[in-house]
Amino acid sequence: MWRGCVHLLRKDFKLMLSSKFFLLAIISLVLYSCYINFVYVHLDQEMIPVYLYDPQRQVAVDSEYMTRLDSRVALETACADSYAVGFDFSGAESELYMRASGLDTTDHYRMIWGEAVLSGQMDGQTNIIGSNNKEMKNRREITAEFLFFELTAVGFLGLASMLFKEKQMGVMRVHGILPIPRGLFIFSKLMLLLLSDLVFTILLTLINLGVPTALDVLPGVLLQASLLSMMMTLIGFLCAIWLQDFKGFSLFYLVLAVFVTTPVFLAGQTGISWDWMVYHPMHYVFTAMKAAFFSATPEGVPYYLCCLGTILLLALLSYRALNRELTREG
Amino acid sequence: MTGLKYQLKNSRRDKMCMLAFILPVLVGIAIHLLSGVSFQAMEETAFGIIENNMSDDAVKWLRSNGAVSEFDTRAALEAAVNDPSTQMIGVLPAGEGIQTIISGDELEVNQVIAETLPELYNNRNAALTFSSTILSPTTDNEGLKSLLIAMTLVTAMFMGCTFNAMNIIGEKEEGIGLVNQILPVSMVAFVSQKILLGFLGGTASSLMTAMICMKIAREQLAPFLLIVLLSAYISALAGLFIGHYANELMVGIGYIKIVMVIFLAPPIFFYLTVPHDSFIFRLSYLLPSSATFYGMMDVLNGRRVDMILTMGILLIHAVFWSLAYGCIRKIRQTDV
Repeated sequence: MWRGCVHLLRKDFKLMLSSKFFLLAIISLVLYSCYINFVYVHLDQEMIPVYLYDPQRQVAVDSEYMTRLDSRVALETACADSYAVGFDFSGAESELYMRASGLDTTDHYRMIWGEAVLSGQMDGQTNIIGSNNKEMKNRREITAEFLFFELTAVGFLGLASMLFKEKQMGVMRVHGILPIPRGLFIFSKLMLLLLSDLVFTILLTLINLGVPTALDVLPGVLLQASLLSMMMTLIGFLCAIWLQDFKGFSLFYLVLAVFVTTPVFLAGQTGISWDWMVYHPMHYVFTAMKAAFFSATPEGVPYYLCCLGTILLLALLSYRALNRELTREG
Repeated sequence: MTGLKYQLKNSRRDKMCMLAFILPVLVGIAIHLLSGVSFQAMEETAFGIIENNMSDDAVKWLRSNGAVSEFDTRAALEAAVNDPSTQMIGVLPAGEGIQTIISGDELEVNQVIAETLPELYNNRNAALTFSSTILSPTTDNEGLKSLLIAMTLVTAMFMGCTFNAMNIIGEKEEGIGLVNQILPVSMVAFVSQKILLGFLGGTASSLMTAMICMKIAREQLAPFLLIVLLSAYISALAGLFIGHYANELMVGIGYIKIVMVIFLAPPIFFYLTVPHDSFIFRLSYLLPSSATFYGMMDVLNGRRVDMILTMGILLIHAVFWSLAYGCIRKIRQTDV
């Protein structure tokens, strides 16, 4: 049986190589890392700028948030973005000029901010209670999201394309008459995909968080990644057996990508809270993954029990589905 | 005409085509159902306070400047401030005034707001000495929402390629492609049927999506329709190309995904990050979907669409790719 297992593993590995599974993983690794390091890290929103048209120099204050302009037209163009605030001191009466943003609170704040900058009354300090700076937070956040996406969507697709190929080549039929326990057929795929997902996780985390932080968070992240990877592989396996052809499968995949992962992303990224979110199982998995990246308190025992239960159930279902498929094919 | 009827019948039976048709409409419904409030709340400054711990006056002042959430305990407040997905600023009383707490990972704007808020609060009663000119907003403040709608619409238009690409590949796989070559169907009739198929699919899907989640002013109707029609035509052309080069269904699906990503991602990226009068921005017009996307954003934001630029670019793309496809067909035919 041991020899059979090794042969199975080797066969699956070759299959993954030939279906360019690793190439795809490397390409996405490079793409994600480039995006994180060159784009996402630099995303920021600057403070509301204040523009001043003051030909007679009535305002003596200078501030890093204030820019002096030399005409009314320049002032109006600068304030066209519904964000900046402008002041015009050219007439008899000084004038505040801005374009409303459509939010009353934001507009009110912009007005008092503009006045504060103009009067120079804006000293102050705040108490910082967190341990992350903005760059580190961005890195942790986006790495968690990309990893989640890669494991749910891409790993799932990889397994399915592999299985469909095997179906097409008639490998399933051959398996039906081989003296190898059928569980091994699932086991070898599960192990290989898990291993490749873990390698991907380690590389993505190391590249994008830097070695010291990555080493700090990796134990928790690897645990979450392996749970997610096993669940998604088994779901992919089940779907690939149940659905007749790749076309049907890609339909299912599209629905999964759009309606299952998008709400989770939106909620995770923007802090929008929907009441129905508590019924979304992937939401919990995503939260756990994010918590692992932020070294927050890990989930409790019930969460892990649920995960293990799901994996066991999926494994059982896969085993039965495979049995039925092999009986039908054989 | 009968030919087209058969083509449509064939597509109707194809689940992939039906999904490509329905998906944008479903997303449109989802966007429509998401209330504007949840999008607006994201753009307001968020303040967090502890219940019953601040004077009514201070709370009222905070409410006039942003969205205020109340928490039971200081620990709950700190947890919310520290939550990486929020930009919340915690506000606590300090003698007569207030003090703020932040996590340190906020955007620059929120860090500055938190630093200067106590001083702004102290000076809240300073008399206003300005006459103010506040122009009404250019949009209904649906920044994120209109971006989502534009994305969905552009997807719907360019999904048109799925219809005829799937149709052509399906025919190839079933051998109908070979039969077609010996049938007395002229190339023009064949190509125009296939183009019409993608064109009708893309147009119908985008119009349905637009009806669900968009309000279009009367004077914007003509530019909108022209953009939809031209984009759906270009998308149908893309479908012909995909059908021409893909021999297998799996490869076809791969091509369609690549085309969708290339058509969708760069315009959004350029629209959001690159200054609109720069050379790189103009370079993005090499993709037909850029013109569509920018045009859609103009329609959604109630701005006047630069018809000459948008239509010109879409027309150039339409003519160029039609000619290119004609050339390829000719070469292939002489090969056979």
